[in-house]
Amino acid sequence: MSSLRSSLSLDRLGSVIAVLIGAALFASPFVIYRANRIVAGEGRMLADALPPSGSVGVMVLALAVAGCAALVRAPLIRLAAASIGLCAIFPAVGWSAGFITPPGNTFARVSPALGFWLLALAFALLAADALTRLRLSPWARLAALAVAAGAVALLLVSGAWNDLSLLKEYAGRADTFWREARQHLWLAFGSMAAACLVGLPLGILGHRVPRLRNAILQVLNVVQTVPSIALFGILIAPLGYLAAHVPLAAALGIRGIGAAPAFIALFLYSLLPVVANTVTGLRQVPAAVIDAARGMGLSARQRLWQVELPLAPPVILTGIRIVLVQNLGLATVAALIGGGGFGTFVFQGIGQTAIDLVLLGAIPTVALSFAAAIILDAIIDLTRRGSP
Amino acid sequence: MSAPSLLWRGAALVLLLLFITAPQLFAFAFEPLTVNGAPAIYNQGSLLSLTLSHLRIVFLATLASTILALGLGIFVTRPSGREFLPLSRSLVNIGQTFPPVAVLAIAVPLVGFGEKPTFIALFLYGLLPIFENTLTGLMEVSPQTLDAAKGMGMNPRQRLFQVELPLALPVILAGIRLSVIISLGTATIGSTVAAKGLGEVIIAGLQSNNVAFVLQGGLVVALLAVLIHDGLGMAERRVSAKLGRAADEVS
Amino acid sequence: MIEIEHLSKRYAETIVVDDVSLRMDEGTITVVVGTSGAGKSTLLRMINRLVEPSEGRVLIDGQDTMAIPEDQLRHRIGYVIQGYGLFPHRNVAENIATVPRLLGWDKRQIAARVDELLDLFQLDPAEFANKFPHELSGGQQQRVGVARALAAKPAVLLMDEPFGALDPVIRSKAQDDLVAIQRRLGTTVVLVTHDMNEAFQLGDRIAVMDQARLLQYATPAELLTRPAEAFVEQLVGTAERPFRLLSLLKVREAIEPGPAEGEPVSVTDTLRDALSRLIWTGREALPVADASGALVGRVSVKGIVAHGRSAP
Ligand SMILES: Nc1ncnc2c1ncn2[C@@H]1O[C@H](COP(=O)(O)OP(=O)(O)O)[C@@H](O)[C@H]1O
Ligand SMILES: [Mg+2]
Repeated sequence: MSSLRSSLSLDRLGSVIAVLIGAALFASPFVIYRANRIVAGEGRMLADALPPSGSVGVMVLALAVAGCAALVRAPLIRLAAASIGLCAIFPAVGWSAGFITPPGNTFARVSPALGFWLLALAFALLAADALTRLRLSPWARLAALAVAAGAVALLLVSGAWNDLSLLKEYAGRADTFWREARQHLWLAFGSMAAACLVGLPLGILGHRVPRLRNAILQVLNVVQTVPSIALFGILIAPLGYLAAHVPLAAALGIRGIGAAPAFIALFLYSLLPVVANTVTGLRQVPAAVIDAARGMGLSARQRLWQVELPLAPPVILTGIRIVLVQNLGLATVAALIGGGGFGTFVFQGIGQTAIDLVLLGAIPTVALSFAAAIILDAIIDLTRRGSP
Repeated sequence: MSAPSLLWRGAALVLLLLFITAPQLFAFAFEPLTVNGAPAIYNQGSLLSLTLSHLRIVFLATLASTILALGLGIFVTRPSGREFLPLSRSLVNIGQTFPPVAVLAIAVPLVGFGEKPTFIALFLYGLLPIFENTLTGLMEVSPQTLDAAKGMGMNPRQRLFQVELPLALPVILAGIRLSVIISLGTATIGSTVAAKGLGEVIIAGLQSNNVAFVLQGGLVVALLAVLIHDGLGMAERRVSAKLGRAADEVS
Repeated sequence: MIEIEHLSKRYAETIVVDDVSLRMDEGTITVVVGTSGAGKSTLLRMINRLVEPSEGRVLIDGQDTMAIPEDQLRHRIGYVIQGYGLFPHRNVAENIATVPRLLGWDKRQIAARVDELLDLFQLDPAEFANKFPHELSGGQQQRVGVARALAAKPAVLLMDEPFGALDPVIRSKAQDDLVAIQRRLGTTVVLVTHDMNEAFQLGDRIAVMDQARLLQYATPAELLTRPAEAFVEQLVGTAERPFRLLSLLKVREAIEPGPAEGEPVSVTDTLRDALSRLIWTGREALPVADASGALVGRVSVKGIVAHGRSAP
């Protein structure tokens, strides 16, 4: 009886979420309609954004989720409610775009508005809270990510969103989109791989030679402090000089402006987390263990290979997670110096005040960083378990 | 602090001040980078006023983030806010996967060009490290110390202001420092959305193919960031030394 | 005087302190002893209401602690824990001044009190007042912890394993110092420990706890000679019993008339020390001297051994 009452009492976070949902439904437009892609738009409330059956359906469902958030504490139920809510509004916004756009009008644009974003935020908060409380195993988290990715892919492939402004922006530049996507990934992953190739040996060296360690870390620390665009700028001059005076460099595609300074800057930024975490990973072995290993007559090299390195991977991977998330975000800035990547759309969008174009660059970037963080966190947890 | 390191810092500071107040003195160094008689030194505005605008927006945004993030960090570590703790930690984790540029770019269509989107981006993104470090700092306070404080009859408010916050201070300061450094960088990019700041120099150089501009903009921003980072780091080490914690070897 | 009446503490289904009643007299040291998890700390923390009792009440000098706002109650009760919980961001003087400052004493009064306490604990104010806790040795930290607890002249001092972190030599000295200071100030001390030796060395009375229950509350001698339960007997240690008993008694209580050869023992030495001297010197008896050094009789192996037997 008492447990029933406590499970039905008002949940404070849930109440906040319920209020958000209420504000989204009754006080904010669900979508924005614009006559063309750059003029100011007019908001459409949910009731006008969908045929009556649709808007009533979404409203009832959202209210049910709100009630569930406020009253039910069981995380699984809350997760289910949040998922149902998300599964309703994402197709609904695409449906709304088709419903509002006058037939045959190719200029009109429909984008999600505050109401949609608030609903998405509320449901996502509810899901995030439930997932946090569920403490899923690494594999379960990966599975959840895969399901979410699958659902988004389904929406995209099925054409349910084709009438949305975002997808119209995409349709107009599908080729460029994938080219910039490749460039973005190349910048982020390529520089990370290079940083691992250089940083791991450097970390091991730093571990073995303490004097060197401090020097290396201090220099890298200063590099890390320099803002990205400033570092790009500083690299442009020497690379330009190199391109002009060393034919081989020019032949390799190194130029002052473009991907080269961006790649090098990302590489330099990546070094600190890789080196620092390698050193920390190697140093974390308890002194008593090292002492015992020495007592058994293991040489420094044997200690490294048999004791220190096997224990280091989780910490080194943590460094790689930092690098990857950081690079995927920083690669956006590369577009400013002609380095390509998703930033191209972001900065073009800013220039044209076309929010959908901005989103075309920003959403994949955020999605990639988010996925990378989840995947690497799961891998880190798995390696931790492997070596307790 | 050793004499050589003090000398280095002093020299860097003097160089920076000299450059932003009298950049023409350095024209000789940038001349070789120009082509077709383009100006060697940024000539579309005063470097000093750009630097001041840059610092102003970073300072204001960091101040705002610090106030809100500290408040939130304190709230979720009190008994009345504990319910929000797990979620707020996940949100910080998720929030940090958002690149600052994306926040900046999304703010533009919502509030227009200029200082506003930059301020919003700096403010929102600056919250994360400060909030995270406030949480870490407050939760790291040893339960023993808190038990002793309670046992001596300190009320929750006294415990917070006399024990928890002073002990969490070094970690909170580290968060603020991180936030300031990120903000310095994001504010540079803010020039693409017409916020007044040092990014203008770099952008102007990129637009007019003037490598000299790009380089001097980059150097000024870099030097500024390194010096501020260093100064805040020194303040932090002071505070932690008093607490008897080994000051970090680096960072 | 502290009166604990039918005090219980429950966490959900588990009972951690089960209907404990005790009376601690003014100016005495009561030691609560028992194995880890017995509920000692919980019992102690219910006295200053760091833990709210589920049932029962605590009276201090006849006043129900529930009637006093909890912060005020704690200002009046000193509290020392294992590890001391010194504030790392405050120096020794500031640490000691904590409660006086909370009580709004004026600056001069606080400074005088800090100096007085540092002297009392044999810490030179000039050297130690401005040091931070991390600059102190374990023994010094411990003394600062106790000084801090005594700063506002509390009538009651609660101590939870206050010597647990010290090495044996320093611990023994700290225990002696505590007794000396307690006798001088007349503070009522309640001390929790799992160490039987400590209980016998310090306690005017000892409360033995096990599995949330109070098994016996008695003087050390009673505990030795009339253990209430097999568990108490086992805890006290059967092999150690006679020696414990002897170390509770002073030479004064075993003086026989007559002369003896050798270096005299003092009336204030324990019988255990006297026996040890007798065995070591190979004598049957030693002379006894009083505080002024005058011989007042002798003490013999036979006489001492008689005191080490369980009571008839
Ligand atoms: N806040 C609490 N919630 C649940 N159980 C507790 C709590 N505090 C203490 N206990 C339990 O009460 C028992 C007694 O604890 P304690 O009084 O600290 O024992 P002692 O000090 O004798 O070692 C232990 O088993 C402990 O796990
Ligand atoms: Mg205990």
